[in-house]
Amino acid sequence: MVEFRNVSYTYPNGQQALNRINLKIEDNEFVFVVGANGAGKSTLIKLLLRELNATEGEVIVNGFNLTKMKQRKVPKLRRTIGVVFQDFRLIPNMTVYDNVAFALRVIDAPTKYIRARVPYVISLVGLTAKAKSYPNDLSGGEQQRVALARALVNDPQLIIADEPTGNVDPARSFEIVDLLKAINSCGTTVLMVTHQHDLVRYFGGRIININTGAVVFDEIIGGADEAQ
Amino acid sequence: MRLNSFKYLVKEGFTGLWFNRVNSFASLCIMTISLLMVGISVLLSYNITNMIGAIESRNEVIVVIQDGVPDNNVTILGEQLSRNPNVFEVNFYSRDEAWAGMQEDMTEDEKALFQYMSKNPLPDTYRIRVSDISELSETVAEIEKLEFVEMVKSPNDFANILIGVRNVSTILFSAVTLSLIVVCFVIISNSTRASVYARRREINIMRYVGASKSFIEIPFFVEGVVIGILSAGIAFGLTWFAYTEIFKMFSTDVNMLSIFGLSALIPFEAIAVKTAIAYAIFGILLSAVGTVVSTRKHLNV
Repeated sequence: MVEFRNVSYTYPNGQQALNRINLKIEDNEFVFVVGANGAGKSTLIKLLLRELNATEGEVIVNGFNLTKMKQRKVPKLRRTIGVVFQDFRLIPNMTVYDNVAFALRVIDAPTKYIRARVPYVISLVGLTAKAKSYPNDLSGGEQQRVALARALVNDPQLIIADEPTGNVDPARSFEIVDLLKAINSCGTTVLMVTHQHDLVRYFGGRIININTGAVVFDEIIGGADEAQ
Repeated sequence: MRLNSFKYLVKEGFTGLWFNRVNSFASLCIMTISLLMVGISVLLSYNITNMIGAIESRNEVIVVIQDGVPDNNVTILGEQLSRNPNVFEVNFYSRDEAWAGMQEDMTEDEKALFQYMSKNPLPDTYRIRVSDISELSETVAEIEKLEFVEMVKSPNDFANILIGVRNVSTILFSAVTLSLIVVCFVIISNSTRASVYARRREINIMRYVGASKSFIEIPFFVEGVVIGILSAGIAFGLTWFAYTEIFKMFSTDVNMLSIFGLSALIPFEAIAVKTAIAYAIFGILLSAVGTVVSTRKHLNV
């Protein structure tokens, strides 16, 4: 569960990015976060990952109160969250397998578990045949699926996807969201930040619109895929 | 931490070394030179102290006894001299021995000049050696106050030169060591910063997937320690070679021998283990502390 209680954030240069935001995202929800550039979406994500600490109010993520959290506890929080970025952030000199396994290695997971879990997650995103390939040999859509597998491999309670379709061609974008929907249907909360309104309109669901640091719209809309 | 994870981190450390090989090599060279300079200044200071000790032990202070002092009072004076804490050797040298010795050194003409002398003109003396040359003037002052002492002859000027050399070498050694510690810190810090920069992508991902601070830091620590161990090893090898050559030169040169004596230079075998341990501790400690400090500074985990 994610909760923002009267959260404000002001950057050290005085620029206010978020202003008294109140938001609650329940477990198993799928939420689109939309808004123009500079609206405060990135700040919202940074607060969720505890890269930034709210200057006012409280942020609760997966049972952790981030406002009161000590710095040394931050890794514990991040192990409950999977993150996917627009630019994939894969390690180019590691194979698909190693990129996914990397997320488990750095949290000191047993080798036996890594050997069983990684091929399974790679198969979930449909890349078994490319497990030994390097990121640069893959298409944008495939690279994003590797990034998704890496986010999934720790079995997180929440997945934050920051414009995951931004560098993927339109046809593959729908596949990525389909994949996120499938992950969500298995019980993982998904928060997807996007600029692509066609995707939002197509899939529908809960839409949160942020504008100049405030939530201006928070409703559930019906998607075109449901209508079909 | 699991053994497998530890192995993985050590492997990552070595990978980092190879990945930044130009930078690692530069750090290795500068660390080696720094360690070598510290080593040389320590060994120099150690040997100068030893040489001063060797010269000290051969320096005599002559206590001239007043003329006509009875034998038992001369013995009492000898006992008083022995009780002085800075005196470690007291030898009585009678006027007759002194006269005989002087005559031995005389040429025939000089002997002819002294042959009509009715009385031995030389005094009875005590020849003493001090254990600490830096306290020579105080010791001489104490002896001068004793009864039956006519005068005290001591090599004060020479002692002052030796003390000066020792003091300068100590200051020089401390200054060199301190400045090199700073240099090593800067080098390791730069090397770590370059390494952190080269791996910023991985570090970023590590942070997002919940790697602990220590997990991110360990490969850099391994990198630093490996550079420390390697540079300590190379510095030790070079010191061994250079020192042995210098020792050979000193022990075969007659002039050097006449000035400093046989025991002046310490043979490398006698200090090899100490030197190796000092290099290892200095190299590892410097690089370990340097890495930890700079990872804390450059890694915002």
